[in-house]
Amino acid sequence: MDFGESFQMAVKTLAASKLRSGLTMLGIIIGNASVISMVGLGEGGRLYINQQLQSLGPNILFIVPGNRETRRLGGLETSRNLVLADAEAIAQQVPSVVDVAAENTTPGLITFLNRNANASVIGTNPAFITVRNFTTDQGRFLGDLDMQRNSAVAVLGNALAERLFEDQVALGQSIRVNNVTFEVVGVLAVQGSNLGVNYDDAVIIPITTQASRLVGRTSPFGIEVSFISATARDSESLQTAEFQVTNLLRLRHGIVDPAEDDFFIQNQDTLLSIADTITGALTLMLAAIASISLLVGGIGIMNIMLVSVRERTQEIGLRKAIGASQQDILLQFLIEAVILSAAGGVIGTLVGVSGISLLSLLTPFEATASGAAIVLAVGVSGSIGLFFGVIPARQAAKLDPIVALRSI
Amino acid sequence: MSALITLQNIAKVYGSDNTEVKALWDVNLTITQGDYCSIMGPSGSGKSTAMNVIGCLDRPTQGQYLFDGQDVAQLDDDALAIIRNRKIGFVFQQFHLLPQLSALDNVALPMVYGGVPPAERRQRAAEALQRVGLANRLTNKPSQLSGGQQQRVAIARAIVNRPLLLLADEPTGALDTTTTEEVMAIFAELNQGGITVVMVTHEPAVARLTQRVVWFRDGQVIHTHMDPEEISYGTLVG
Repeated sequence: MDFGESFQMAVKTLAASKLRSGLTMLGIIIGNASVISMVGLGEGGRLYINQQLQSLGPNILFIVPGNRETRRLGGLETSRNLVLADAEAIAQQVPSVVDVAAENTTPGLITFLNRNANASVIGTNPAFITVRNFTTDQGRFLGDLDMQRNSAVAVLGNALAERLFEDQVALGQSIRVNNVTFEVVGVLAVQGSNLGVNYDDAVIIPITTQASRLVGRTSPFGIEVSFISATARDSESLQTAEFQVTNLLRLRHGIVDPAEDDFFIQNQDTLLSIADTITGALTLMLAAIASISLLVGGIGIMNIMLVSVRERTQEIGLRKAIGASQQDILLQFLIEAVILSAAGGVIGTLVGVSGISLLSLLTPFEATASGAAIVLAVGVSGSIGLFFGVIPARQAAKLDPIVALRSI
Repeated sequence: MSALITLQNIAKVYGSDNTEVKALWDVNLTITQGDYCSIMGPSGSGKSTAMNVIGCLDRPTQGQYLFDGQDVAQLDDDALAIIRNRKIGFVFQQFHLLPQLSALDNVALPMVYGGVPPAERRQRAAEALQRVGLANRLTNKPSQLSGGQQQRVAIARAIVNRPLLLLADEPTGALDTTTTEEVMAIFAELNQGGITVVMVTHEPAVARLTQRVVWFRDGQVIHTHMDPEEISYGTLVG
């Protein structure tokens, strides 16, 4: 008996008990749908984070205080050794760097008339808007004069402006930031959250004003900053810029041994690779959890096939009596198991793909069902049928026709 | 007539040493081509075991079994399956039709395992069903047929591969008197067509319709050419 014949026979048998076949497939359907959608979700998350990182621009460098060791301590113990003067020195002395922005973020209570809002207060310099590739929606951004005069001027994030002023014009209004009065000179366009900072919900003020009026001097070396971002002239000079900035900062901080660096530099590539590692691990974990249900589905198939062999003992005996070889019987039951699991895999994939489409409608993640995931899932579920089908099929093939025929 | 079946000193022993059960012991039997005989005997006499050995469903522990001139006593499972497929047709008391298949597909099943092309299968299956008088029941499922009709489908399945031997195990055990006569008439007709027919039965009325009776008792052949007319209640019990 050839393969085509066995296949037709298996389809006929399965079609004869549709409810049971459907229920048997259910485990695989659920397993496959969850694998596809979980991997799609992970992939969507990765794309989302990558998009955010790429929107930073390819030439950006982040100079972050602390070295890898001290940063591991995290949180409050993070050493803060970068100051505004470092940023100015980089801007003046590193030829491969175009623009440098220093940022210092503190929490603040923003008041306008009787409305309050908690928001980040970001002190920075005028180059911020070019380095971070932001634009203003209304008014202007901070200028050099604001820095020199420690002016009490503020640029509002889009969402914060809407919260405080609603329909009123924000420009020219006076707001209070931690009880210090500032004049609103501009409103940023919508930026979205970026590397964990929501610039839409922030007040941006000159970093000099922030130091003199809000936080005071906290470092003996000058005005302390959270981090410095700098843009290199072009992507070719990125490495040069990194090297030159490192040397300059070591010189300024009096560091001889590179192991004692009190800052470190990240560029888009390193951020991307860190994000990829994290999202990759997350995706793998999601897929692993979803695979458990696929495994359970496979065991379900084995279970039903074992029951089926027992129920169909007489059929097996008859088939053997009229000339079926062990291989014929083995193939018949194996094909039934594989059809069940492969069909379940295909249906599960359809369910998973529609689930993903739904998910990308409801969340900012552009979740996608990757072709590789589909091929893998259908292939895996097919092999699951093959693997879990072997035991029942062998049991059927080994049946003694005399015993099988006499059983009732 | 040449011998189709030759059993020489056949023994079938289950278990070993002190738990040994001799289902068959020193059985010698010859059935020639064109024979029409019944195998009888009290229950436990070994007639079913003999039937399994003759039908190549089981291997004897000892002895030589020549079937159609070939020593089949120690062939492996798959070789026996091929002999059953090509040369032997089986009819069972419980019909053993596959419920999900039509009468035609049930009859065609042995040809599926015999590697006959689909078009020829349908044609031969239809011919076989016509031969047993079911030409108008090709597409019916077994559940849509009466017991007698189901047994006739089973007979059609048994003869569709043109076997040398038709082996029937209590073929009328589940049938009433009228259908028993119909089925026995088909056996007689097939035998006249040249097929050797061997059936196990415990009904003297059925055995009387065959040409001779092989009588088993305690795993041995007692009579090989008993006249069916000699069968009485006494011999059946004893």
